[in-house]
Amino acid sequence: MFGLDYSWLADPAYQQWLLTGVINTLKLATLSSSVAILIGMLGAFGLTLRIFWLDALIELFVEVFRNTPPLLQMLFAYFTLSSLGLRVTDPSTGLSVPLLSAFACAAISLSLFGGALAIEAFRSGIETMPRSIIDAARSLGYGRWARFWRIEAPIATRICLPALTNILTNLFKTTSQASVITVPELMYYAGQIYNDTFRTLEVMILVLLIYVVLVSILTFAMARLEAFMAFPGYGRGH
Amino acid sequence: MNRIDALIELDNVRKSFGDVPVLKGISMFVQKGEAVCIIGPSGSGKSTILRCINGLIPVDKGFVRVGAHRVHEMKSERQMRALRHQVAMVFQQYNLFPHRTALENIMMAPIQVLGHDRAEVEERARKLLKKVRLSEKADSYPGQLSGGQQQRVAIARALAMQPDVILFDEVTAALDPETVKDVLFAIRELVEEGLTCILVTHEMKFARDVSQRVCFTDHGLIVESAPPAELFDNPRDPRTREFLGQVL
Ligand SMILES: Nc1ncnc2c1ncn2[C@@H]1O[C@H](COP(=O)(O)OP(=O)(O)O)[C@@H](O)[C@H]1O
Ligand SMILES: [Mg+2]
Repeated sequence: MFGLDYSWLADPAYQQWLLTGVINTLKLATLSSSVAILIGMLGAFGLTLRIFWLDALIELFVEVFRNTPPLLQMLFAYFTLSSLGLRVTDPSTGLSVPLLSAFACAAISLSLFGGALAIEAFRSGIETMPRSIIDAARSLGYGRWARFWRIEAPIATRICLPALTNILTNLFKTTSQASVITVPELMYYAGQIYNDTFRTLEVMILVLLIYVVLVSILTFAMARLEAFMAFPGYGRGH
Repeated sequence: MNRIDALIELDNVRKSFGDVPVLKGISMFVQKGEAVCIIGPSGSGKSTILRCINGLIPVDKGFVRVGAHRVHEMKSERQMRALRHQVAMVFQQYNLFPHRTALENIMMAPIQVLGHDRAEVEERARKLLKKVRLSEKADSYPGQLSGGQQQRVAIARALAMQPDVILFDEVTAALDPETVKDVLFAIRELVEEGLTCILVTHEMKFARDVSQRVCFTDHGLIVESAPPAELFDNPRDPRTREFLGQVL
């Protein structure tokens, strides 16, 4: 069809590569998204404390990770973390291997990148909340920690969920850059396959479709979450 | 008045925001069971007085006591917890937590902050909703309630903390005129039951009807303080006279 040749797809080895690639992409995306959300919440909580040096620190973190290319961050993480010389002996092979695998470096750098964006999102969610809601919580005896987790975070999460969806889809797509530091995710195996078969266009079309499906599942799930968490007066809850 | 017997005692309280002095020496006493109204022009420091009483903002100078709590000496939120139990506050608007239903709004703090038993708190909360005539709205979210209904839920929520005092900060100022009446009715009931109340209000007729004493504030000072009949009919200070001339 259209002169495209997909006969290589019948090869179980290539099927296995694609499957492994998808699984690793999902692992990387899930791990870094979860950590990014956690960083986002903790960072936003840190900002509510209004401690001068902590504000400055969080601000610096956000600026650095938001304003530099994630690919560069990943390369940076890979080369600095692996050159720290942290090595362990793999008990099964007896070989000395770096403590932090390429996967770990990619996960760390994507978590930090996503975390910086998530801090911004949660922060703006908290800032758009009427001041009197916080005063009400204080006057009811809620301390800082309880106030954040019981009141500010639940409300801010609903406010910033659309922004968070954007961040997570972005992060998902950015996982493909981990192929550059040899993380065996989908994009990495795609390269392997077309180097083998020279069917570059066919492989790219297939991988594109896989990304479309995976990201669509993510945005669909986020839309459902948004509908589920909606409450009257905010966002979709009108 | 005997200041030792007073439930609430403020002595020469001063507060500035940056270089701007907002409270310039506020002294007042409130007896148990008394309803005191604070009236005065916008920006004269009325809200700030209430916020100093329940420790939402620290005072710069002076003495604030509520019951056994010396508020001006409290530094951390933890120290304030017992005070927050004793003093409840209702704000002008956006009081309620929008992600929780009316009933949950009332139940949250007694369970989460005071650690009371859930079943007992729910019973209390339903009684309070009934008291403010909103039993049928238990499962509505704040966004589904009118402004007046929200304020009545906020009053029920304050009462659920079983406070000795409630501070009301212009709770009807942002409401449609039709719903003001219901909110004032609910407050009037509390005053008649003997709950100690401090009310910042623009409703002069209401202030005259319910309060035992009215304080007039201007530029961070209590200019005049008297029983309502006296303050409204025979204001002594020219600033009080001017203000009443504008609003009455
Ligand atoms: N958190 C704050 N920061 C700076 N200025 C404030 C703050 N709160 C109140 N003010 C100022 O203090 C003055 C008195 O405010 P407020 O007590 O709210 O007056 P009122 O309730 O009588 O209208 C106003 O000029 C207001 O702008
Ligand atoms: Mg005010």
